[in-house]
Parts: sequence; C-alpha cells; structure tokens
Amino acid sequence: MNLAETAWAALNQALEVYQDNPRATHWLHRHLARFSEPLRLAIVGAEGTGKSTLLNAIVGEQVELGVRATAEYRASATVSATVYPTGAPPRELPMARVDRRLQLDAGGIEVSPADRVVVNWPSRSLRDLVLIDTPAGQIPDADAVLHLMPRPQNADLQPLRTLYDNPVAGATPINTLVVLSRADEIGAGRVDALISARQIARRHRREPELRELCQDVVPVAGLLASAGRTLEEPEFEALAALATIPKADLDSHLLSVDRFAHKESPLPGSAALRRQLVQRFGLFGVRLAVMLIRQGSDTVPTLAAQLVQRSGFGELRDAIGQCFTDRTPVFKARSALIALEVLLRMEPHPGTVGLAASIDRALAGAHDFRELRLLASLRTGKVTLPEDLAAEALRLVGGEGTDPAARLGVEDEPSTSDVQYLLADIFPRWRGQAENPALGAEERRAAKVVVRSCEALAQV
Amino acid sequence: MIPSWLDLLDDTMRVCAQHDRADLMRRLRERRDHLLDRKVRILVVGEPGQGKSQLINALVNAPVCAVGDDLTTRVPAVIEHSETPTASIILGPDDAGRLAIEASAPERIGVPVESATAQANREAAGPRGDILRAQIGLPRELLATGLVLIDTPAEAPDAILADAVVLASDATCELTAAEIALLGRITRLCPTVLVALTKIDLAPDWRQIAERNRTHLAKSGVPAAVVPVSATLRLIAARTGDRDLNAESGFGELVHRLRHDWLEQAELLSRRSVAALAGITVEQLSTPLHKEFAATQQTDAGEAVAKWHAAGKRLEALQITSTRWQTLLNDEVADLMADLEFDLRDRTRRIIREVDEYFDAADPARTWEEFEDWLLEQLTAVAETNFGWQLERFEWIAAKVARQIAPGRPDVLREALSPDTPLEHVDGLRKPTVEKFGISQKLFIGMRGSYGGLLMFGLATSLAGLPLINPISLGAGAAFGAKSVFEERGHRLKRRQAAGKTAAQRHVDDFFLSYGKESRDTARLLHRALRDRFSGFSQRERAEISESAKAIKQVIDDDVTRRTKRAHEIKNAITELGVLRQRVRALAPIPRGLIA
Repeated sequence: MNLAETAWAALNQALEVYQDNPRATHWLHRHLARFSEPLRLAIVGAEGTGKSTLLNAIVGEQVELGVRATAEYRASATVSATVYPTGAPPRELPMARVDRRLQLDAGGIEVSPADRVVVNWPSRSLRDLVLIDTPAGQIPDADAVLHLMPRPQNADLQPLRTLYDNPVAGATPINTLVVLSRADEIGAGRVDALISARQIARRHRREPELRELCQDVVPVAGLLASAGRTLEEPEFEALAALATIPKADLDSHLLSVDRFAHKESPLPGSAALRRQLVQRFGLFGVRLAVMLIRQGSDTVPTLAAQLVQRSGFGELRDAIGQCFTDRTPVFKARSALIALEVLLRMEPHPGTVGLAASIDRALAGAHDFRELRLLASLRTGKVTLPEDLAAEALRLVGGEGTDPAARLGVEDEPSTSDVQYLLADIFPRWRGQAENPALGAEERRAAKVVVRSCEALAQV
Repeated sequence: MIPSWLDLLDDTMRVCAQHDRADLMRRLRERRDHLLDRKVRILVVGEPGQGKSQLINALVNAPVCAVGDDLTTRVPAVIEHSETPTASIILGPDDAGRLAIEASAPERIGVPVESATAQANREAAGPRGDILRAQIGLPRELLATGLVLIDTPAEAPDAILADAVVLASDATCELTAAEIALLGRITRLCPTVLVALTKIDLAPDWRQIAERNRTHLAKSGVPAAVVPVSATLRLIAARTGDRDLNAESGFGELVHRLRHDWLEQAELLSRRSVAALAGITVEQLSTPLHKEFAATQQTDAGEAVAKWHAAGKRLEALQITSTRWQTLLNDEVADLMADLEFDLRDRTRRIIREVDEYFDAADPARTWEEFEDWLLEQLTAVAETNFGWQLERFEWIAAKVARQIAPGRPDVLREALSPDTPLEHVDGLRKPTVEKFGISQKLFIGMRGSYGGLLMFGLATSLAGLPLINPISLGAGAAFGAKSVFEERGHRLKRRQAAGKTAAQRHVDDFFLSYGKESRDTARLLHRALRDRFSGFSQRERAEISESAKAIKQVIDDDVTRRTKRAHEIKNAITELGVLRQRVRALAPIPRGLIA
C-alpha cells in the first residue's frame, strides 16, 4: 500500500469512527473530496510582494480579482465566481471574461480577507493546479505553498515557519518554494538584473536557516513573467514602434518612468499607452523588450517567449512541476494526514488509537517524504556529493520527473528487463556509497535514500 | 557668547555624573565634541537594498560608497570635506568596554578612495571585526560648508551622534511599519529627519507612494518631509552635464534642504538635537528614580519584619517551655527520690529479715566470718542496684526533658551522667562481742548446778542413814551439774544470736542511713547538674534568638532610615531633573512647522 492509499484508508477509517459527530464527518468529507482534486497551490507573501502578478503569470491571463479575500482559481469550462462569506450562504458574483481579462462586479458585497472566493476560469494552466491567492497574514489552506519574498536580505522567515506549526507538517517540511518575486528590482532595473538575481538566489538557498524551510529558492521577475505570459498585440506594436527609434535617442527617454510616460514626450503612442506599458512591464521590462525586438524577436510569440524565458518563469514552472505537481498524490496524502492529526487533536475519541498509530507509521515509513527532503538538500547544498553522483542522485530520486524513464535517464518507457539491466549497474554503486566512510553522515543517509528509490524502481 | 544649548548640555552632563551614569556621560561628551566642531553630521539610514549608499554617491557625485545588488553596508562610512580625495579605514580596539585611557589611539590604514568602503565591508565580514569606520575625504563644495555624510549599516543606526537623519526608502513600496518605527525611534534622539524616496526612476507610481508616505508619517506623528530622488538620474546627469536630468532627479531639492534648512541653521539643529538628547537623558535618569521612589514609599513590611516577629514568638515559646521543663524536672526528681528511698528500705528490710532467720539457727560465734562476707555482698548488691537504677532513671529524665526543650534535636544534651558509685558505706561491720564459754566457766557452772543436786539428794539420803556424800547424791550432783552446764550453753547461744542480730541490724541501719544520705546527695547533685545543663542550653538559645532579633530590628530600623534618606535624595534629584526638563522645553518649543 503506498502513501496515498494509506492516507485514503485512514480518512475512511476515521469516517467510521466519527460517524456520530457531524462536525468531524463534515471535515472528513471535505478532505476526501479534496483528495481527488488537483494540487492546491497557495501563493503567499507580505503586502506588495507581487502575489497577483505572479498569479497572472501562472494562469497566463489577467485574472487578478481585485478584492482582498482568499481567492481560489479552478479550471472549468465556464466562467463564474462564488463568494463564501463566513457565516452566510454562498453567493454567485456576476462576472465575465472580457478581452482575456477578468471583470468582477462585487455589486456592493462586502468581502473580508477571511472570506473565500472561488473563481472558475477556463485555462490550460489550471489543469493540474488549484491556485490560491492568499491575502497577507492569512494562513493558506493548501497542499503546497509558493512563498514570495521581495528580497532575500533580512527577510522575515516567521511566516514561513508558521507553515510548519502543525506537528505533521513540521515533520515533513517539503511543501514550500521560496520565490524572489521582484528579481528585476534587485539590479535596479538593469538589463542583466536577472543574472545577478540568480546569483543571489543561489547564495541564499545555501543559508542553513532558509534551506531547512523550503525546497528551493527561485528568482522570478514577476512583472516580466506576467507581461510575457499575457502579451497583447497593441502592447507589442507599441514596443515595436519604440524599437525603431535609434538607441541613443530612446535611451534618454528610458532613463526614468517619468520621462518615458511624459505627455510631451516625442515617443510614438499615447502617454496613457506608455504609462500602461510601464505599469505592466516595468521600466526594466520595457528596456528588455525593446532590446529583444531589436535583436530579432519581432513577433508576439517570440517576444513573449523571450520575455518569459528571461523572467526566470520557466525555472519556476519546472520547480513547481518537479517539487509539487509531479507528486500530487504525496501532497494530497500529506494534507490528509495533517487534517487527520488536527481532527484527532481537536475531537478526541477512544476509537482513534489505531488511527493515530497509522498516521505515525505513515509519517515514519513514507519514502516519498524522504525523497522530497533529499531533493531539497541536494538543491540547497545541504548534502554535497561529487558532481556526477549528485546529478545521478537527483535523477534517481525523481528530481527530473517521477516516472521510471526520467529516473533512469532513458528516452522511452523501459521494460522490466531494461530496468533490471540498468539497475544492475546503479544498485551496487549506491549501496557502496551508503557505506562509504569517505562521505559524511548526511551524505551516507542520502545514499541510503537513493538505494531505497532504486528498490522501489525495481519493484515496478 | 556661549550658546544656551551648551549650558543645558553641560548641566545635563553634570547631572549624569551625579547619578553615576558614565554610559550616558560618554555619549553626551561625544555629542558635545561633535556639536562644538561646527560640522553638521547627517546620518543616512534605511533598510538594506533601499539605496542608502547610492544616495550618498549621488549627493557627492562620486562612487565612494560601495553599491551592489547583494551588498550590504557593514561598516559605517564617514564622508567629509578635504582638499584632496583621501580615504582610510579606522581600526579600533575590539574591546569597547576598555577604559578610554587604556585604549590605543585608533589605527588608520590608508586606502584608495574608490575601494575604501568595499574593502572595509569585505574585511569586516571576514576576520577583522575591529573596523570602526571608513573615513573618506572629498573636495566637494557641498561638504566644504561643514556637511558630513555618514552611511550606516542597516541594523541599529546610532542616531544619537547625528545632527540630522535621512531615511532612504525606495519608491516601489510604501514605508513599512518597521521603517516608521525606526523613524519614531530616531526622532526621539535626533528630531531633524527627512525621508528620501529613492529609485523614483523605476517606480511608475512614485507620486502616489510619496503621498501615501506623507500620510503615514503625519499619522504616526513623525515630522519628516518626503523628498523623491533618483540617484541613477543624478549620476547620469553629473556625467553628461544634463541640467534637466539633474532637476528631474530631485536632488536639487534634497541639496537645497540640506544646505538651507540644515546647514545654515546649524545653531537651530544643535539646539533641537541637544533638547532631544537632554530630554531623553533626563527621561532615562528619571525613570529609574521614579521607580525607586515608588519602591521607597512602599512600607515594605517584607521579610525582615516577618523574621523579627518570628524571633519574638520563638522567645515567648522558649519562656513557656522553660517553666514547663523545670516543673517536669522537679516532679520527676521528687518521684525518683521517693522511689529510691522506698527501694532502699525495702531491700535492707529484706536483708534484715534474712539475717534474723539465719541467726535463729546459726551460731554467730562459729559462722561470723561467713556471715560477714554474705552481708557485705548483699549490701554491695543493694547499693549497686539502687545506684544503677538511680542513674538509669536520671538518664531517662534527662532524655525526657531534653525532648521537651529541644524537640527534634536528639543529639543535643546527650552527655552521659557519671557520678561515682558510693560503695564505701558497706565496709566496717563490727563483730559482736561473744562471751567465751571456757572450761573453767563450764566447771564453775557445773559445780554450781551439781551443788544443789548433791545437797538435795545428800540430805534426803542422809535420812536413810546414808552419809551426805554418797553415790546417790554424787550421781544426782553430777546430773544436776551437767544439766546446768547444758542449760547455760543454750542461754549463751541465744544471747550470741541476739547480739549477732543486733549487730547486723545496726550495721544495716548504718548502711541505710549513710547510703541513703549519699544517694539523696547524688540525686540532688544530678538534679542540679541537669538543671544547670538545661537552663544553660535554653539560656544560650534565648540569647541567640534575642541577639538575632536585635540584629533584625537594627536592620529594619536602618532600612527605614536609609529609605527615608534615599526618598529625600530622590525627591531632590527629581526636582532637579524637573528644572532641567523645563529648560529643555524652553530650548525647543517643538517647532513642528519648521521641520516639515
């Protein structure tokens, strides 16, 4: 029985135990329903860290709600929004999708930060995710978390720690990615800002305090990513027009936002459009886009692709995939175990002794959690293996995809005999590493996890 | 003319000295030196990455402070005027607690101007933790007027040493709660503050942000103006000589403010700064004083008084115990004496009875030696038993009284009683005088007895014609003689026995008398010894307790005196501080409008 099945069985068992307790059964039913949903990914961060911008970038459309409430974005064929106020019946909000943009009519309804708004939105990006936009200060109710930090120096890690307050969550700190969300500002808007942001991220992900709390630190130029993902024809045309102006002339207008969006500026296009450009792209984005168009990315798709690539968004999406969505069942199981732990603590019941034991067993025995923790350790440099070994370890524990082919580094789905053949080489090597006295204790432990992953592969 | 603020500062320092606050003194003295050198020190503070260093670079148009995407200022950099560009790193003793006289003069290391701060930061991050600051001199018009710019590390800027403070905050975000709190702290030490809204070249909405910041500041009561600037634009403008761009950078206004509002009004700044400093010092001095005063006012009954009461109670208890044990001791000893006497009498009587029985049969003349030994033995046994019993009973009494006097301390008063055993009274049994019943006496008594018989039977037989002395009368004479001797012997034995009994009785009586006396004496002695011992103990105890009670009382009295005296002193000090505070108010009537 794998972890997800164990958790599912435990939830059902709890349902039997608590069948006379309506509150508990409601709670359990909610979590059973969530089990089959896509991964719930929350975007959290302090005020002004670019949560909405990143949300737009991930969805690929401008879906920002514009109300201070916990907003859930789910994939659906039709567009609709429902508000769930605390202590009042849910209400449908009139809304429409106009010109790839969300238009919500709150219609005089007071929405407080504690309320929940569910937005159904047709988008391919929401296929395997439920995105949750969490207002600052609210604890997200999610399987995994993107924690946004504008800059890594002197960052307040307390909100990050509160994510692991629950004992089960604390035992498995595997569901957070730290995003340096305003990477473009770190370099004061220079075109190479993202390169230095990457260096900073690399340095900070090695900080012992931070690396215990997250799977990885990823820099993203949020504005650039969202602009690239939602680039529109008029914006492209305006940028293309700017690119035709000689560089020396244009540069003096790109010195500051004021100059660029000035009413009497000789630049093409209206001041309002330029203002919109600078709002959407940032001065850094405008400079970069103009440079890219000059260098030949002169269609909407190529420019969009270049912008997205330069924003570091691709890395973020890969990280979300590798760390979270590839392993949705693991996170579902983890959330279910947390929910069960909370239930057992809040509503003690004599029949739950076996349940508590099975939660403990699942936590102690789950190889998936150890794999994820090892991935984080490999990425953040807590475990330092020789380079080729590190790469292989990362691959074998599922850092590049969790299917056997990705783990073994082969193109096609390998047959059982292929797997046996490949493992015949890998197995002894890692067994040896697990007992290699030249390695540190942390590294030997890592090698043991790799061996365990190999065993799991052999059993498929 | 001596400016009024200097007077106030000196008075504040004097008060600090009176209150033994060398820490405050040191800062004030440092500040005094700064104020007197006619320079205006401007501290640039802010959270990391807000462009503090770049702001300074733009102000002096030179890349003197190291800037970088991931660089944080670790060491303060002091930028002031000099004829030629110079730079040095000042090293200080790493032990800040050492006395100034012990500290070696700060060491200076000359470094190139461009890399001074970078090098200082690098070294401070590394093994050299003792870098005090980087000192940079530049030939600039702005600095020549006496302006000194200080770039500070993000954490804990020492605002007390500044005449004015510039907070750098970038225009992409509003002022955070932490920044506003920092400003609040700073304004208490240095009331002249300005917020430089940096990086306005990058932020599309900097005007709204500036407006919101002004609202925030007004709401939190921080009298600081917000000046939007762009260091990037200013540096480009300086490079290209573009006046328009320089105007756009907002530095015109910043420099104007530095020069006209601050530099030319150095006197006002000094006054304000001294007022704030003196105010805060007075506050720091008076808070503990008020607390202490409140403490002195509390009639702190507390531990000492409780102890004192406890001591009194113990004395009383001791008094009661003392009478109680004395009664107990007397009663017990009286009982004991009665018991002892009875025991002695009983035992001696038993001996006499035995003696009587013995001499009813035995002849003292024959068995006297044997009897003497036996009697001695008996009497010795009586004396020993009686005495042993007495000792035992005394031990027991001692233990009983000790339990009462010092309960729970069984080891106290545990000396053994050891008087001598009075056995000498047993000696000297005199042998009764026993008449000898010799042959001649026997003969004489026989003769006397036989005379009657002879005569009687002689006369009778003479009637029968027999001579007076004939065989019959001779026979009767012999028989009568023999009977007389026999009877005499019996009488003599009786007499001897009676004499033996009397002698033994007298001896036992003597023994009873003298041993009884001795025993009573011993009992009295022991009684006295016990009484002395116990009363000595309880006297010691009482002395101890009353001594400690006296000491406690003394402490309480002293404390009250001290408290009253201290309260008086504190009152005086508070009054003095109050005067000082009024002077502070008079010096700075809080010209809010002027600052903002």
